[in-house]
Amino acid sequence: MRSTRIRAAALLAVAGLALTGCGRDSGGEAGDEGQGEAIEDGKASGTIEVWAMGTEGEVLQDFAAAFTEANPDAKVEVTAVPWDAAHDKIANAIAAGETPDVSLIGTTWMGEFAQAGGIEPMPEGLVDEADFFPGAWESTEVGGTSYGVPWYVETRALYYRTDLAEQAGWAQPPATWDELHQFASDLQTKGGVDYGLQLQAGNTGAWQTMMPFAWSAGAELTDAEGAEYTLDSPEMVEGLDYYSSFFADGLSSTDKLDPGELESGMANGTIGSFISGPWHADLVEEAGVSPDQYALAPLPGKDSAPGNSFVGGGDLAVFSDAENKDGAWKFIQWLSEPETQQAFYDEVGDLPAVQAAWDTGELADDPQLQVFGAQLEKASSPPAVPTWEEVASVIDSDIEKVTKGEMSAEDAVKSMQEQAASIGTGL
Amino acid sequence: MATLSTASSTASSTGGTPSRHVDPTRRAQAVAAWVLALPFVLLFLAFTAGPVLASLGMSFTDFRRADIRSPLSVEFLGLGNYTELVADPVFRKVTLNTLLYLLLGVPLTMAAALAAAVGINRLNRFKGLFRVGFYLPVVTSIVAVSVVWKFLYRHHGGLFNTVLGWVGIGEVNWLDDTTLALPSLVVMAVWRNFGTLMVIFLAGLQTIPREVAEAAEVDGAGGWASFRHITLPMLRPTLLFGAVITGIGYLQFFEEAFVMTRGGPLDSTRSITYFTYDQFRFGNFGYAAAASYLLFLAIVLLTYVQFRWLGERDERPKKPSKKRRAKEATTA
Repeated sequence: MRSTRIRAAALLAVAGLALTGCGRDSGGEAGDEGQGEAIEDGKASGTIEVWAMGTEGEVLQDFAAAFTEANPDAKVEVTAVPWDAAHDKIANAIAAGETPDVSLIGTTWMGEFAQAGGIEPMPEGLVDEADFFPGAWESTEVGGTSYGVPWYVETRALYYRTDLAEQAGWAQPPATWDELHQFASDLQTKGGVDYGLQLQAGNTGAWQTMMPFAWSAGAELTDAEGAEYTLDSPEMVEGLDYYSSFFADGLSSTDKLDPGELESGMANGTIGSFISGPWHADLVEEAGVSPDQYALAPLPGKDSAPGNSFVGGGDLAVFSDAENKDGAWKFIQWLSEPETQQAFYDEVGDLPAVQAAWDTGELADDPQLQVFGAQLEKASSPPAVPTWEEVASVIDSDIEKVTKGEMSAEDAVKSMQEQAASIGTGL
Repeated sequence: MATLSTASSTASSTGGTPSRHVDPTRRAQAVAAWVLALPFVLLFLAFTAGPVLASLGMSFTDFRRADIRSPLSVEFLGLGNYTELVADPVFRKVTLNTLLYLLLGVPLTMAAALAAAVGINRLNRFKGLFRVGFYLPVVTSIVAVSVVWKFLYRHHGGLFNTVLGWVGIGEVNWLDDTTLALPSLVVMAVWRNFGTLMVIFLAGLQTIPREVAEAAEVDGAGGWASFRHITLPMLRPTLLFGAVITGIGYLQFFEEAFVMTRGGPLDSTRSITYFTYDQFRFGNFGYAAAASYLLFLAIVLLTYVQFRWLGERDERPKKPSKKRRAKEATTA
């Protein structure tokens, strides 16, 4: 027994030494490496393992048939992963070194996985940055290096009840901040709604509705290199002040709405307008708003339309431990061709990240889609840094303090910056 | 594996000394015991002791999600995470919330359970029906219950506000008011959890000898007096057990807030467990591990205090002393 105890003690000591001995290397890897080497010309070959989430994961296998037809030596194997399990599954796969070749990656996860050394910098010249919406492209850049290619995008626009707006004297949607505020208040006084513009007062994701206003005012979340947060700026105060004025003036409820409450409020005329993404069109119509009762408009800007909006979506990336990197990048290249992007839109309705895909077909004709298409040209994404989710939750909770009147916008941005600075970008 | 080989080598070395004679059957039994225990020991080491020790070790480092590929390259912080937690205003806030939840929830749950148990104990008919009825919420899924209660608590058109409207009280903003949100969650938790304690208290009540109560009645003790001086003291061990398990459960509250309020409004329903969950989500594994060990310490402390407070005057309930006290009660 004594020998066991000594052995255990020795083991602990060694473990302790190991822990204290090897400190973290100073400086991160992400961004230091530059773009990858260009891939070779020629057709893809071998098996390409792909992970994709949600509807994309379900349809991609059949959709990829066109790719394997053009590249007969290649085989695409798609595994569908549910969205809520995806983040951890990818993180674990990277930790274990058992990754697929390609995966769909949520735009806000790029910084984290790039920093962990899990995904590869994009090869030089794989695609042309100028083909993509600028906000979407930003989401792939970690510390100045691009770690993937945008696949599809989503952005936010203003949904409003046209019939009630007309009743309130608005034949055209508002284009500026002043107009938007007047619009919301007219919807209440003349349109008979309880809340003219329902915004999110707090909780997870409130920043996605608030930041567009701050971006419109000229605020930036980080400095140009993406190395430091710059939340404490007069522009940020201006955006937040404007955002909170809707709560202070009773134009938006501060309650946390249940799923479905927003759409049913829109249907029964208690909510006049709100800001959301493309998925809400179906939800609103399901709740009983007929298509001619509502319309979409780009977000109003500070002085002129359109204002800035938020862009999210999914990027495609290749793992450092991928076995078939060449095939993987070629598959991504194929998915980024305008024709493929358009065909994929026809298949699942994902908005293409490649601008040329919007020039023809339904994407060019549908008025709702046109609003999103126009908005995408002026949309920003959060910085792709490993700590973004944590900083976002800090921003969310300080937004709530302002919208509920517990803090002034000036104090809130100071507090945001203080906390964000202590968290750091993690790069 | 390592433990087994060391153990057997130690066994053989002591067995080999000539001064002591080892019975071969005993030795065979020892080997058999190890072989039989092996599957459990291995599973325990791999899936319980291992992760527990690893997370304890993690709590002294700055382990973050980006370190998962090279877990040994983290910095050792000593108690850094713990001191940072104590200074973290959000952690202070969630600690306060958790304590409030505990202080409101445990007495209320115990009172409700005791009242229900005493009431049911007096019933002659429908005993089973009430027992099942009160116990039912316990076996339902906490998530389902929370979703339903969220509808009951709804600001506009919720059942509670509708009923209050009938008696002329205006709409109360149960879940979106910083002072009301936490108590609202407590009420739901009491409703859901008192069934377990009720069943336990009911069993405790049935161990109180009938003669004791009868003797008290003969001596002229009324209902309240006999409850206060007979039932409560004799239930003390059961009450202690109830307080301990409810306390442990309430210190870890999470699902209710997660489903109903997402920790809001303004963090007023965020608990220590919720905080830990958030930190894990952000990838601050070391910080999160430290937070969960602080919660663990709090649970140990609470249990110790409860044992001291409720258990002490009982002078460690041993069977003979209990009988003696019962006798004293009858003769008194």
